[in-house]
Amino acid sequence: MQFPSLSPSDSALDSVLSVQDLRKSFGSNEVLKGINLNVKEGEVIAMIGASGSGKSTLLRCINRLETPTSGEIRYRNQPVSNDNVTKLRREIGMVFQRFHLFPHLTVLQNLTLAPLKVLHKTQTEMHTRAMELLERVQLAEKANAFPGELSGGQQQRVAIARALALSPSVLLFDEPTSALDPELVGEVLGVMRDLASEGRTMIVATHEMGFAREAAHRVIFLHAGQIHEEGTPSQVLENPQQPRTREFLARVLNR
Amino acid sequence: MNVRYLSGFRVLLSSFVLALPFSAQGQSAMQRVRLKNEVVVATDATYPPFEYVENGKVIGFDVDLGAEIGKEIGISFRFQSLEWAGVLGSLESGKADLVMSGVTITQERKQKGYLFSRPYFLSGQTIARRKGDTRIAHLSDLKDKVASVQQETTGQIALEKAGVPKDHILKFDQLQDGLTDVQNRKSDAAVADLPALTRILKRSFPDLELVGGVEVSENVGIVAWKGETELIARVNKALERIMADGRYAAIHAKWIEERLPLSTLAGLEKVKGDGSPVSEIGSDNQVAPPTLGAVSSPLSSRLTVSEILKPLVRGASLTLQLTFYTLLFGVPVGLIVALMRMSVIKPISLIASVYVEIIRGTPLLMQIYVIYFVLPSIHINLNAFISGVLALSLNAAAYISEIFRAGIESIDSGQMEAAKALGMDYRTAMRYVILPQTVRRILPPMTNEAVSLLKDTSLVSVVALAEIMRVGKELATNSGEPTRIYLTIAVVYLVLTLPLTMLTRFLEQKWKPVSRG
Repeated sequence: MQFPSLSPSDSALDSVLSVQDLRKSFGSNEVLKGINLNVKEGEVIAMIGASGSGKSTLLRCINRLETPTSGEIRYRNQPVSNDNVTKLRREIGMVFQRFHLFPHLTVLQNLTLAPLKVLHKTQTEMHTRAMELLERVQLAEKANAFPGELSGGQQQRVAIARALALSPSVLLFDEPTSALDPELVGEVLGVMRDLASEGRTMIVATHEMGFAREAAHRVIFLHAGQIHEEGTPSQVLENPQQPRTREFLARVLNR
Repeated sequence: MNVRYLSGFRVLLSSFVLALPFSAQGQSAMQRVRLKNEVVVATDATYPPFEYVENGKVIGFDVDLGAEIGKEIGISFRFQSLEWAGVLGSLESGKADLVMSGVTITQERKQKGYLFSRPYFLSGQTIARRKGDTRIAHLSDLKDKVASVQQETTGQIALEKAGVPKDHILKFDQLQDGLTDVQNRKSDAAVADLPALTRILKRSFPDLELVGGVEVSENVGIVAWKGETELIARVNKALERIMADGRYAAIHAKWIEERLPLSTLAGLEKVKGDGSPVSEIGSDNQVAPPTLGAVSSPLSSRLTVSEILKPLVRGASLTLQLTFYTLLFGVPVGLIVALMRMSVIKPISLIASVYVEIIRGTPLLMQIYVIYFVLPSIHINLNAFISGVLALSLNAAAYISEIFRAGIESIDSGQMEAAKALGMDYRTAMRYVILPQTVRRILPPMTNEAVSLLKDTSLVSVVALAEIMRVGKELATNSGEPTRIYLTIAVVYLVLTLPLTMLTRFLEQKWKPVSRG
């Protein structure tokens, strides 16, 4: 699939998600300096950039775990605000770097809690659905384990399944493999590749250039709070135009 | 005798009462008495032979005399035992109609507004020393020694007047504690009133003796709150009849173990219907000291195990009930206060902070006083149990709120973010994600709080609740073996607190796999 890059004003209407002139400051430190981004249905965006470039902050502003200082975020043309964000978060799932599973609940309960309490699904309905999701991340046998009994990779797969349990349209991944031991990264990326190939809309902040190259439709390079360069994976990763992008890629690829 | 002078604390409370816009009493004692058809008499029943507890009942000289007065008036007297510190305050707040607790009539007391009956007992301060300690014969001999008294009693005043330096006077809650101190050679002598000392020495302190002779004589009266002239007039009339027809002499003979000092009755007979006492502390007009009958050898009357355990179990049951209800209200209120304190809405968090600071910054005893004795002046009159639970709950809630707050704040902020990212609102996230983890984490400090609460319930004895410590004190005053009683109480407390700590350990084990990761 190829997504021609359009100007924001043209594409905002048929975007699932659009970000317009988003700014975020922490005190006097401006972390996001005017971000514009449109995400199409089924699009997979890999967001790369050095630590502190604003990747996390951008994702957290999208589902309003951080309140933007200025600018607008629209989900299916509807402005995301503090008033409707609780509802919209069912549509915009998030996977965290450090999993944040609920340690007092079993794996199965981790998956069913939000659908039961937020969507008011029935216990039996959710049990079946949760077991399906656990099958998909190949952790069905761990349904009754507690998160503390799982490896990091298993925990992150559970966290992905948990996000999927609400059937969101968009999934945000905040460096999902950065907290994992290297040998556990593959199993998580495998699950994410499957999701990408199913046509799920995803924004993935990542340092995994392999994933960006193979699974993403578009790669965004964030530098100092701005989108410094964007394009198809081959454009950005193999033929970067900006010196900053080349510098960054040289650093991560040669490590 | 018993406590006569307003302590600083009570003065503070009195001024608090005066500052309130309402009158201190809704009804006069006379109105209440007519309404309930009984006279509630406050007393501190740790003062044999005047009033003490035996087999769960308050008995003694004052109780028998009160019963006779009741017969004369035609209304029964009900005695209610509470810590001395709360006895006189119960008149002011209307919780009691009269006080009969061996209260000495003093000029200062009258100026405070207390109304006294005519004197009904002539007593005097005397000295107890270790047997054969002939260094001590008079109060003046104590100037360079250490003397024990029950705090705020006329014994203390007598020592001070005799020129004993204040730092040589050790003040105890109970006379028995002062006598134990003498026995243990930590102080040289104890000063207290003759009948009580005679009785207590006989029963509990075989190694001590009375010096002999009364150093300061004083009159004992029945107390009412200001304005209760009708009630006092009736009491006086009754007293005169009881004294005239021999009933008084019989009660005296029954309770006062030494032969009735004739001058006591003589002193009383000098007083006419106007109720003015023959002598008061500080007046020059003192009656000649009554002569003292020989002190007989100590009685051996060990209480049986069931005589000790039965009342203690009753007391323990009240202690448990107080603890249970306090936790029942204190934990939810504590949680609400914690959530308020963490609120982003400034006025709400401010209210919660002020609440916590006020409660933490003032003594629990003060809070119990205010709820039981001061609230009636704004027409909120709660019974002792509800007052106790309310004070303890409000107090515990402040501490519990801080435990909750620390616990909630210790939960990784990622938990709340993950819950929010899953579409949960604040309430749902708190209820299903944050609080269940908090509860597991705050279990140890919460157990601490519950255990110290269980022990703090003993403070409510100032509002006449006979929890285990109060029952124990009453037992100990009469048993002649305080050590055995207090050790038993310690064991009962352990038996009460151990299940709590064991439950905690069990839950911690149960939740262990969960608290990882």
